Order: sequence, then structure tokens, then C-alpha cells
Amino acid sequence: MSMHRGFGNPWVLVLVCALVYGALSFLTGILPGIAFSRIPPTPGLRPYTAAERRGRDVYVAEGCAYCHSQNVRPFQEDRVFGRPSVAGDYAYDTPELLGDHRNGPDLTDIGARQPSAVWQYIHLYEPRALVSASIMPAYPWLFRVKPTAAPGDVVVPVPSPWGPRHGVVVATARARDLVTYLLSLKQVPLPTSSAPPGGVTP
Amino acid sequence: MQAVRDEIDREDAVLFASYVWSATAWLLLATAVGLLLSFKFPYPDLATSPYLSFGRLRAIHTNGTFYGWASIALTGVALAVAARTSGVAVRPKWAAWAALILYDLAALCGTITLDLGINYGDQEYREWVWWVRLLFAAAVALAGYVAVATVAARRERAIYISNWYDIGGFVFTVILALVALPPWYQYGMGQVAVQGYYMHNAVGMWFTFLALGAAYYVLPKGLNRPIYSYALGVLGFWTNLVFYPLIGAHHFEFSPLPWWFQTIAIVFSVGMLVPVWAGSGNFFLTMRGRWSLIRRSYALPFIVVGIAYYFLGSTQGTVEALRSVQALLHFTNFVIGHSHATMYGFITFIAWGAIYALLPRATGREPNPIAVGVHFWFALIGVTGYVLALSVAGVEQGLRWAAGDPFIASVEAADPYWVARAVFGTMMFTAHVVFAYNVFTMTRRAPDARVPETALAGETAP
Repeated sequence: MSMHRGFGNPWVLVLVCALVYGALSFLTGILPGIAFSRIPPTPGLRPYTAAERRGRDVYVAEGCAYCHSQNVRPFQEDRVFGRPSVAGDYAYDTPELLGDHRNGPDLTDIGARQPSAVWQYIHLYEPRALVSASIMPAYPWLFRVKPTAAPGDVVVPVPSPWGPRHGVVVATARARDLVTYLLSLKQVPLPTSSAPPGGVTP
Repeated sequence: MQAVRDEIDREDAVLFASYVWSATAWLLLATAVGLLLSFKFPYPDLATSPYLSFGRLRAIHTNGTFYGWASIALTGVALAVAARTSGVAVRPKWAAWAALILYDLAALCGTITLDLGINYGDQEYREWVWWVRLLFAAAVALAGYVAVATVAARRERAIYISNWYDIGGFVFTVILALVALPPWYQYGMGQVAVQGYYMHNAVGMWFTFLALGAAYYVLPKGLNRPIYSYALGVLGFWTNLVFYPLIGAHHFEFSPLPWWFQTIAIVFSVGMLVPVWAGSGNFFLTMRGRWSLIRRSYALPFIVVGIAYYFLGSTQGTVEALRSVQALLHFTNFVIGHSHATMYGFITFIAWGAIYALLPRATGREPNPIAVGVHFWFALIGVTGYVLALSVAGVEQGLRWAAGDPFIASVEAADPYWVARAVFGTMMFTAHVVFAYNVFTMTRRAPDARVPETALAGETAP
């Protein structure tokens, strides 16, 4: 029981806890936060345009990162998603979207891997129209069904039977921004190949 | 004199019952959401609406169970334990009520904003926008103040070990919430580092401490014998405090975070075996020779399951942090299985055990034993099946990826396990409905409502 006597006053316990945890939080939270925020962008990486930034906001609001990582590990199996990610790739990525689940594939380099805007629009409207076993949610609220297309409308050619019975599917501004963002997700090549070809096998 | 004491008892009972009811309401809502999400895996076109979509509801499920259910339930338990071990009433009452109102307000505003697609980023457990997280931090600070003020008024010289854990948990969580709040030093990879720190500390410096605080009271009380070793309890307290803040980066292994930074996290994840085994060993040694008492208690079965999952889930967490294991299981459903083993098997079962131990004593109303049994078995079979299904699914996914199969092959391989998960999830949700019924029977006013005289009988540490 002697170990308790030091804390006869609970405020002493509060003080000790706050000092120890405050110091540890500084070391493991604040300091790395400051230090790693200063990592310069990978050479050739450009900031997002206004439309891409708006599209990224849609991506965040709809919680895409819960199923899609943007973090290519230095493994052979991840080569299909692009080259291994480096810290400078994320210089403009706030909020960060590395993600920690892959219920769907990694999207780090999706703009290069799937450059078709039409494919992205159809896939967002109804993923199962393109990938029958997909479990991705459909996002029909990013589209509008109109009787006929007006000039300037982005018409989405949804294959039957997935489209509406009458009218045409038109992308809203949010869908256009989101697809602009997805198509912008392209890795810049590294100036010197620091990763061994094929990456390391875990 | 007795009338005055009865009045104080009644106030404490109403306060505790209000915490339990708030927590129960959030449990029902957040797990109804979780159940819907589990059915969206086999039926992705189920409930297609922005307000019922996976990306928005997932954060509502996690934040609702964390900050609505578990935080409110364990805070209510912590304040009741502080009062009982100190032989005084909860004080000051206004702060205890204000904390509850702020908790509920934060969870309500957080749920609504998330459903509207307004969030801080898809960063687990800190999706709530800054002012909602500030409301939550204020609730924790107020509740911590109540715990300290109540313990300060005790008659015993020593501070009982439960109150160490509870007061520590309140202090750590206020600091954690405030450190994670300002955005002005978190950009790109810097935000990743802070996120690793935040998401894991929110679990291990908050729920773990409050659940252990509850177990250190309910277990000896239910067994009517002192805890096996106070020294082990104190060892667990300090090692958890020092090791836990360092392990967050193990969520980002093989990411571009510096390799040494990840290595530190792995080393201390192994170090976590010390507090986990000290704590769970301490509890199991306290059980020695008294296992037969489990059958005669509402609370003990839940506490024993909670301790077992604390041991299993946390040890599993250490193994998962190893690089060779992460290489296979990172990004898979195995991680979701692990988080349910710990947040549900450990934290939620301890919270239930503590409520079944403390609420009937406060209100004088016993639950129906059969309904408690149904709650227990549905929840236990449900969560165990859930964890097993997702663990197998996760290994399947990891192996498919390693084999270089097309991505969709991992989806098809996991599909049967997702169906199983939805079935076990239905069992878990059924258990919650029965639990809500039990809370109702434990809190409803009987015609001859009377408060037990023992409730404030200057009770000291068990």
C-alpha cells in the first residue's frame, strides 16, 4: 500500500499524469507532426487545381478513404498500384488520405491506371454496371436524370439495365469535380530510381 | 439524517441511471448503423441514399460506439466507483450533469454533421469537426474534475487503484483531444504522424484506462476478496502510460513515415505485453478458486469475458504490429476483427459488467436473470463469431493479394465471411436490444420504490 501514499492528494496524481503524458505527447505527436509537415514535395509534383481540390473534398465527404488507400507499399504485390509511395508525394495532401483499409483497390495512381472519364462516371453511378462482383456503393446522388441533355451537359452512357428507364444521366458539378480529382491522381516519376526494380518481397 | 442520506443516494442513482440510459441509446443507434453497414457488404445496393451510404455511416458507427456508448457508459461507471470507494456522494453534481449533457451534445452534433458529409477528413476516430471534438474534450474535462473532487473528499487515506486508472484516463484524454485539435502543425505526412498518435491513444489512453478502472472495482467486489496484487496494478498503470503513446505509428507500417519511427512503434507494441499481461494476470489470479461464483452473479461473466478479450485482443495487437504479420494483414478485414475483439470483447463487456454490478445497487431494482443470460450469450457468441469470420476473411484477402490475383478475387474470397459477419452482427444487435430492456427493468420506478440503505454506507475499497 506504500505506493499509494505518495498520492494522498488526487491533484498530485493529475499533475504527474499531465506532465508525463504531456511530455510523451510532445515527443510522439506534436514533434513528428511539425517535422514531417515540412517534407518538401517530390520534384515534379504540382499542387491541386481548384477543381481537383473540390473533387478531393467530395472524396473526403463521401468517405472514399475508408475502403481505398493511397499508399503503395514497397512490395511486389503492390506494384500493380504504382511505384512505392515516398513522403514527398503527400506534400499537398491535407487532410491526408493514406487510408488503412483496402476493401477496394489502392487509388494512388488511378488517373494513370484508369484514365477514362466515361468509365469513372459509369462506375460512380453504378459500379456493378462495369464490375459485376464489386461491393462499392453506387453514388446516384452525384448525378441527375433529365428528359434530354442540354448543351454542355456531361451525359453518362450507363449501359442497360443499370440506367433509368427514361431520360439521360447527367453528371452534377460534384461528380465532375470528383472525376477531375480521380484523373489527376498520377504518380510523378522519381528523379533517381531509389527503389529496387520489383520492390522488396515481404 | 437517514432522510438526508436517502436523498443523496437518490440523486446519485438518478445521475448514474441517466449516464447508462444515454450510453444505451447511443449503443442502439450506433450498432443499428453497424448492422446496416454489415449488410451492405453482401448487398451493396441496399439503402442507396447519401444519408445511409457506407462512407458516411462508417464514421457514425465508430464515433457513436466510441464517444457515445463507451465513453458515456464508462464515465458514468467511473464517477459511481469514485463515489463508492470514497464513501461520499458524487460531487459537484452540476459538473457531472454538465458533462453528460456535453457528451450527448457532442455525439448528437457529430452524428448529424457526419451524415451531412461534414468531417475533419477520413481519419479514424477524429472525423468530428473541431468544435464537436472541443465539446467532447470539455465533457471529459468536466467529468475528470468530478472524479478528482469526489476522490478528494474521501475518508480513506489511500486512493484506490480504480481511481488511479480513471483519473489518469480523464487527464490523458483531455491532453490527447487538445493536441490533436489544432490543424496548424499537421500537413501531409505530419498529419499522418499525428493521426497515428491520436487514433491509437484514443483507444489505449481512454477506454483501456477506464475499463481497467471499472474491472479493478467490480471484480474484487463481486468475488468479495481483495485484488491479487496492488503492485501489479500499479506496474500496469505506469507501463501502459509510458509505452502506449509510442505505438501509434504501427498503423502506418511500410508507409513513407520514416522507418525508424515505425520501428519505435513496433518495439513498444511488444513492450505493451508488460501492462497487458500484468493486468490480465492480476485479474485471473484474483479469480483463483472462486470461479464457481460466476454463475451467481450478473456482472462477473461479463467481466471475465472482458478480461479474457483484454488478454487475447491486446496480445494479438502486439503480434499484428510485427512487420512480417503486417505485410500480410495490413489493409485487410483482419484489422476490423481485431478492433471488435478489443472495443467490444474487452471494453464493452467490462462496461456491461460494471453496469450490472452497480446499477441494481443504486436503484434497488434487479434485472431479469434470463434476459441477462440472453444478453450475455448473444453478445459473446456474436462477437466471437464476428471476430473469427473477419480474421479468416482478412487472411484470405492478404493471401490473394500476395499471390498476385486480380483485386476483385480478394472481394469474392471474403464474400462468404461477410455474410457470416452480418449474421453474427445481428446476434450482437439483438443482445443490445435485450440489454436496453434490462436497463429498463433496472431503472423503472417500482410502486414501492425505495433506495437501498447500503448504497452510501461509507463503503471502502474492496
